[in-house]
Order: sequence, then C-alpha cells, then structure tokens
Amino acid sequence: MSEAVMLNWVLFLPVLGIGLLVVAPRSRHDMLRGISFAVMALQFLLTLWLYLQFDADTAGLQFETRLPWIADWGVYYHVGLDGLNLLLVLLTAFLGPLVVAGAFSAIQKDVKLFYAMVFFIQFAMLGTFIAQDLFLFYVFWETMLIPMFLIIGIWGGERRIYATLKFVLYTAFGSILMLAAVIYLVYSLKTQTGISSFAFADLYGTRLPLDAQVLLFGAFALSFAIKVPVVPLHTWLPDAHVEAPTAGSVILAGVLLKMGTYGFIKLGFPLFPDATAVYTPAVMVLAVVSIIYGACLALVQDDIKKIIAYSSISHLGYVMLGLASLDLLGIQGAIIQMVSHGLTAGGLFLMVGMIYERCHSRDLAAYGGLAKLLPVYSVFFMILTLAAVGLPTTSGFTGEFLVLMGAFNAAWPLYEAGITWPLVLACTAVLGVVLGALYMLRLAQQFLFGESRAPHQPLVDLNLREKLILAAIVAAVFALGLFPDSFMHKTELAAREYQQLVAAQPAEAWVMNQPASGKSP
Amino acid sequence: MNTETVLTAMLPEHLLLLGILLLLVLEIGSRRERDLLPVTLVIVFAAAFAAARLYLGDYAGAPFPGQFSVDPAAALAKAVVLGLSIPVVLIAGGEFSGPRFSILLLSSLYGACLLFSSDSFLTLFLGIELMSLPVYALVLLAMGRPESVEGALKYLVLGGAGTATLLLGISFTFGATGSFELAAFAEAVASGDTLARAAVVLVLLAFYLKAAVVPFHGWAPDAYEAASVPVTAYMATVIKAAVLLAAVRLFAGVTVPASLVGLIAALPLVSMVWGNLTAMRQESFRRMIAYSSIAHAGYLFFAFLGAEPGRYEAVIFYLIAYGLMNLLAFVCLPTGNDATRDRLDNLKGLFHRSPYAALLIAAAMLSLAGIPPFPGFVAKFLIFRNVIDAGYTGWAVAGLIGSYLGIYFYLRVIQYMFMSAGEEAAEAPPRAMVFAASLCCLLPVVLLTVFPGWLIDRL
Repeated sequence: MSEAVMLNWVLFLPVLGIGLLVVAPRSRHDMLRGISFAVMALQFLLTLWLYLQFDADTAGLQFETRLPWIADWGVYYHVGLDGLNLLLVLLTAFLGPLVVAGAFSAIQKDVKLFYAMVFFIQFAMLGTFIAQDLFLFYVFWETMLIPMFLIIGIWGGERRIYATLKFVLYTAFGSILMLAAVIYLVYSLKTQTGISSFAFADLYGTRLPLDAQVLLFGAFALSFAIKVPVVPLHTWLPDAHVEAPTAGSVILAGVLLKMGTYGFIKLGFPLFPDATAVYTPAVMVLAVVSIIYGACLALVQDDIKKIIAYSSISHLGYVMLGLASLDLLGIQGAIIQMVSHGLTAGGLFLMVGMIYERCHSRDLAAYGGLAKLLPVYSVFFMILTLAAVGLPTTSGFTGEFLVLMGAFNAAWPLYEAGITWPLVLACTAVLGVVLGALYMLRLAQQFLFGESRAPHQPLVDLNLREKLILAAIVAAVFALGLFPDSFMHKTELAAREYQQLVAAQPAEAWVMNQPASGKSP
Repeated sequence: MNTETVLTAMLPEHLLLLGILLLLVLEIGSRRERDLLPVTLVIVFAAAFAAARLYLGDYAGAPFPGQFSVDPAAALAKAVVLGLSIPVVLIAGGEFSGPRFSILLLSSLYGACLLFSSDSFLTLFLGIELMSLPVYALVLLAMGRPESVEGALKYLVLGGAGTATLLLGISFTFGATGSFELAAFAEAVASGDTLARAAVVLVLLAFYLKAAVVPFHGWAPDAYEAASVPVTAYMATVIKAAVLLAAVRLFAGVTVPASLVGLIAALPLVSMVWGNLTAMRQESFRRMIAYSSIAHAGYLFFAFLGAEPGRYEAVIFYLIAYGLMNLLAFVCLPTGNDATRDRLDNLKGLFHRSPYAALLIAAAMLSLAGIPPFPGFVAKFLIFRNVIDAGYTGWAVAGLIGSYLGIYFYLRVIQYMFMSAGEEAAEAPPRAMVFAASLCCLLPVVLLTVFPGWLIDRL
C-alpha cells in the first residue's frame, strides 16, 4: 500500500541525504547546507502528511511494513506508527530542519561530515521510534551512539572528548545488559511457545516467572534509565550537554532523552507487567527524586547550558511519573510532556547557541539586561522560559498538568484505602513545579533584565533565519498548549492499550501484594 | 579412493599446490627478481573460487576415507580462509614482491585447507604444522627491524610448545580410545576416564595456545608487532580463523560436559577481560590489534558452550565479520615506513588527511567493538545467543560485560582519527592494489550490514 511506503520514505530519507552529501563537493558549504535543509524539510512534510493521515480511531499499528530480515531467527524489518510513537516521530522530524538551519552559521569545520552525522542520527532515532521488532529496535538504539559520539567529540567544546566518552560508555553499559535481557527474553519465548520471534506483539504475550521478570526488567530499565536520565544515573548528561555543539544539545534534549522514556512505555513496562507492579514504587520515587534533585541543581548553576540540562532531568522526571501512574491522563500527559520538553528545551538550547555565537560565553553572570540589547531575542527567550515553567496556554502546562492529574488520580484511591505514600509523592512532585518556576525565572531575570551587560558588544539582534526557527518552535509550543485535544486524541487508544498490557493480571494467581504503606521499596 | 573424487574434492588444495610449484619453478628459473604477487593473487582467487563452488554445490566426498573428506562446512571454511587472504596478498605489494612471501603464504594456506578436511588426528596435525611453520618464517621476513627476530623466536618456541602439547594430547587420546580418528575426541570428552580427560584438556590447551587465549597469549603481541603489516593481518585473521574452524571440526558431536564448562568458559572469559583491558594501554596499532584478537579468541571459544549447529554458524559468521573488519583496518592504515605506520599517534587527524581511510577504519573499530549496525554486532549476538540457549546465562552476562570493556580502546582509535589534530598534509591517494583490497573487504561488509540474513539463512 502506498501509505505504508511513505513511512519507509520518511525513515530512509536521511540515508538518501547522506548519499547526496557524499557526492556533493566538500568545499561548497552553501550547497551542503542547502541539500541538508531541503531533505530535512521534505522529511518533515512527509511526516506531517502521515500524522494527518493517521486514523485516531483505529487501534494498533498503521502504515505498517513487515519484511523478513534475518528469517532464520524470526527477525523482521517491521516498522509502523501507533499512538505512542506518532507524536515523537513528528517531533523528531520537526526538529530536524531546525537543527540543520540552526547550525548554518555555527558549524564551519567539516561541514560535510557534520550534516552526514545529523542525518545519521536522525535515521537512527526515527528507526528506534518506529521499529516494532526488538532486534531492529536494538540495532537502531545502539546505532544512535555512533553519530552522537562524533557530533560531541568533533564539534564540541573544550572538554568534548571526556564528555563524549562518558556519554558513550554510560549508555553502552546499559545497552550491554539490555542485550543479554533481549536474548534471554527471545529464548524464553521460544521455549514457551516454540516460535522464534522478536516482534513486540509476540513478546508482550510472554509471561515469565516473577524472578526472571524482575531481572529482565532491571536490565531493560537500567538501559532506559541511563538514557532518560533518572537520578542517580544522570551524571553524563550535564557534561554531554555543556560540551556538545548547539545542534548536538538540541538533538540530545529534543529527541534522544525521549528514547529512554519511550523505551519504558513501549518495552520496559508492558513486557514485564508483574515486575512493573513490583518496581512501580521505586520508579515513582526515582521520578520524584529526579524532579526535585534536577530542579535544585538547576537552581545553583552558573552555566546557562547546565541550567537547561538539569531542568531536563527534572522535566523528564514528570514523564516517568506519568508513565508509572498508569492512569490514562497521566500516560497521555507523559507523551505530551515528552514532546513539550523536546520543543522547549530544544528551543532554549538553540537560543543559548545563538547568544554563544555572538558573545562566546555561557556564563550567566556575564549577561544582564538583554531585553534592552536584544529585544526580539528576549521575547522569544521569555516565551520559551514560560513554556518550560508550564504557563497555561503553552505546551508545558498541558504536559505537567496532565501528569500531575494522573499521579493524583492514581494516588487518591490508594489514599482512601489507607496507603499514603503515593499521595505524598504526588504532592512532592507539585513542589517541583514551584522549583521549576524559581530556576527558570532566576535565569530569565538575570539574563534579560537588570543592568545591561554582555561580554561582547555591540550585539546584533536575531536575523531572519533565526527568527523563523524560533517562530516555528513557538508556534508548535502554542499549538500543543492551546489545542491539546487533537494531539491527545491520537494517543488515546494506544495509551489505553498500554494501560491494559501493564495492568493485565497474570493467568495464575500469584500477583505480588501491594507494598506496605509508607515504606519506600 | 577414486581419481575423480580426488580431483574434484581437492581442487582448492591442488590449485594451491600447483601455484607453489609454479612459483618455485619461476624462482629457480629467473635471474631477475620478479613481481610474483599477481600470480599469487590469481592462484588464491582460483582456489577460493573452487572452494566456494564446492560449498554452493553442497559437495560431499571423501577422497581419502578416514583421513581427508570434504563436506559443505569444510568447503565453506576453505572459501572463507582463502577469501580473507585475497586482501592480504593485495596489500603485500609495497613490502614483499619476491617469491618467498608468496610461497610461504600459499604453503600456509595449503595447511589450513588440509586442516578443515582432516578426519584423523594425523591429517589435523599435518595441517596445523603446515599452516604454522611458514608463518614463523613470514614473521622473520620483516628482518629490517631487530624486534622481528625476537618476536619470531618467541612465536616459534611457544608454537613448538603448542605442537608438543597437541602431540601429547593426541597420544593420550589414542591411549584412551585406541583410535586416531577425530571422532575419538568426542568419545574422549564423553568418557570419564582420567586419561581421556587429560587428553581432552591437553588438546584444548594446544588450541588455546594457537589461538592466543589467556594465559597462553604471551607470543601474540610480540609476534604481531614483529611482523610487517600484511603478515600481521594474515596472522590476526586467517590463522586465527583456521585454528578456530579446526576446533569446531574437532568438537563436532561434542556436547560440552559440566566438567569442561569451567575450562571452556573461564579461560576465554579471562581472555576477554585481560585482552580488552591491556589493549587500552597500547601505543602500537599492531599490539592493540593483538590484544583485541586475544579478546576475540575469548568470544570465539565462548561459542563452544553452545549446542552443535548453532556453534558452527556462530563461529563462522563471527570469523567472517571479524576477519573482514580486521583486514579493513589493516588495509586502510596510512602508508609510511613500517615503524611509523604502527604508532597509534600516526592516526591522529587521519580524517583530514584521508577521509576514506578514516571512515573505513572507524567502521572496522565499531564493528570489532560489536556496535550495531555493523556485522560485528550480529556476530556477537549470535555467539551470546547460543550460549544463552545452551543455558549458560550467567556466563553470557559475564562475557557481555567483558566485551563492554573493549569499547573504550576501539573508540580511542576513532577519537585519534577524528578529534585530534595531526599532520595536515594530505595523504597520497592509495595505490590501486590497496584500494582494491579495501573494496574487497568493504563490499562484503556492506552486504552483511544491510542483509545479515543473507548469510545466516544459508548457514
């Protein structure tokens, strides 16, 4: 069917882009940039078309392609869109052209390799999102490391090599254990049912004994939690963000971090429902710790990039909280929050990059009163800051509000049954919103208001290219904030399906009891 | 024995033998030093082609029953080993052109082919010796450097010790089972007899020594460093592949008993960990590859924990992926004299001097590290899948963590090439032969990356 072919086009357009770049002459930077932007823009348009064609009232996969890849093992090239990955694919495709355009002036060294790597990571990220086969997923998941390693390592700041090695070694450690878990999972499916398959749909059905599930979930969760990152596995993130070039930070914050949360929602929780029941308290506690800890650290940073990096930890904590709440609103809110964070953090990193290109400093203390010096820049910065804080009408509000609603919805019945800890956690998470406002407004206040100063003057305000990039992001932020309904509608069926998979009771009656009240696990 | 079988089944061996004789005649007959590499190339290619045809035709036959037989697995092993030698011959151009290199190489390959078809310990021993002896001399061919003598001597002495161990193991096997047939090994493994057990351990240790598994790895770094680049490439890929494929043949019909698991899992595991950790500290490219190959020998012997058909599949796929990637790295090394070529420092900034070479070496390193989408990942997956399928999940997890330790030093090479400033002067474009050699490795790599199923479904 022609529609299914479209999704493959979206996935393989970046490969085509790499091919075009290879044949283009190395010294013609304008041409390289033009090609990259054109391919990315085309990819976004195709994805948008897919998004509009996506039928929200049909459950299951759409635009599905399934071809044998390693037939002997039952590995298929199996891709498709569902409500869980649809918005994330759209986000990835949306940020693609903006990342490329944002790097027009910043990247002057090895331009060809740079755009080839941006295409490469775009390919790997889209592949991870749309893969419906565990082997394919793992291949894309790990492949992502290679371009990111190079992007941070070649075009990064002073400590780039330390940062990039740390990034790769952290994430690769998680993946190695996940690989063992993947092999074991497929092996148990084979011993249980006799079929050798890596398809998510088949694997959801395996119901392993609880102790095996706990170990396997641990392996998967470690890998995903490093990627999210969940405190205390987050230490690679500030380094990677600070040292990465702007484009790298945008990709990292905008899409890559969502890989972890997407992994939880697509694999971690539904594959191991019984283990999830055991681990949910731990996940919720870690999510809330991430929210608060990330916010507290963001409060005391002097490096603007670090503030946004720690705020990412905090914001992704909400996503984890929403997913673990298993409440429909919470799950949908988590998905919206993922997209919203991609837009706001991505936009803020782009803005930091723009000021860095002008002044070559990211030290917050060096700046002040930019509202007078750079009025247009300041307006955009303020909008994105408020979106990150979660001001109503922006996307941040929709996400955080729904997640907290979900957390309370899930906690209330338990509270009435005499279990108080979920409610305590939900209330603590609300505190994160206050802290979020505190650190973001502190940033905006010092940055935009007060006495005017900048390390490099005179400053030129945004040019047309930069204005258009930011206008696109701001438009998306408002679209998600003002009309969340249409987005949520597309995710609803998938969220319900996820809920059922995770909440499904096992055939035998050996369900673990709920943990005793007040105790953290 | 009938003549037709001898002709058809042994065609690859005959072609090699013919080549050796031809080269000897040319050596004796001509006064001038001639460039004989094109002839060598044609011979190796023809032999590889013959072996591949036997494999594709599902040929099975026993020209010398009880001593020498050909089945599709043996034919594939020959095709792989001969095929992997083609790039080695192609890059030998700068270093060796006289007949000595070619004759030694072909003799060694002849030994390897014998090894894969051996049905008795006699043929096996003959093959393994015929394969190893010329390599001692090949290492010495780089006599320009003083350490080459040391490396070659170390290799010779330890290789001799390996031979002695193997012989002792063979005689013990004979003592325990009364037979020289390779099948006697499976019998010895199955029996609980002390003599049989000693025989199995000795034979296994001999193979560990030949494949450089810790703690019998001491010769490898020195020998690899002593040899010049084409010979190192040959040792790291072809010899290693031959030893492992012979071991697979030896283990045909063997299910690893619990008493042997320790030996078959623990030493390879130590090998992975030690090889990967030591490789991090190396400043010489060849020494680094040596330690990396020690680690890879560990993964490969891990595959023996798995059950029968999967074991062969895993080992041969691994060897193909590993061999191609190693060769790719050697082929793309920047030119220069042997000593500077070898320093890792020399790779600094290579991307700006020669992007093509840098990208290919990077792909090779990532594949050796087992990072997808390169074939090294599928190979690693195959091995650990078999180990887990056989029920050794704990060992598999330990092995995977051991393989994680290797990621750093492979990335370090990429870091040198892409992220460090080095000389700016552009590299001279590669010679046609070297370029052809890189294509020889690259095309199958691309094929295996995009369609790994193409090969796996066949195995």
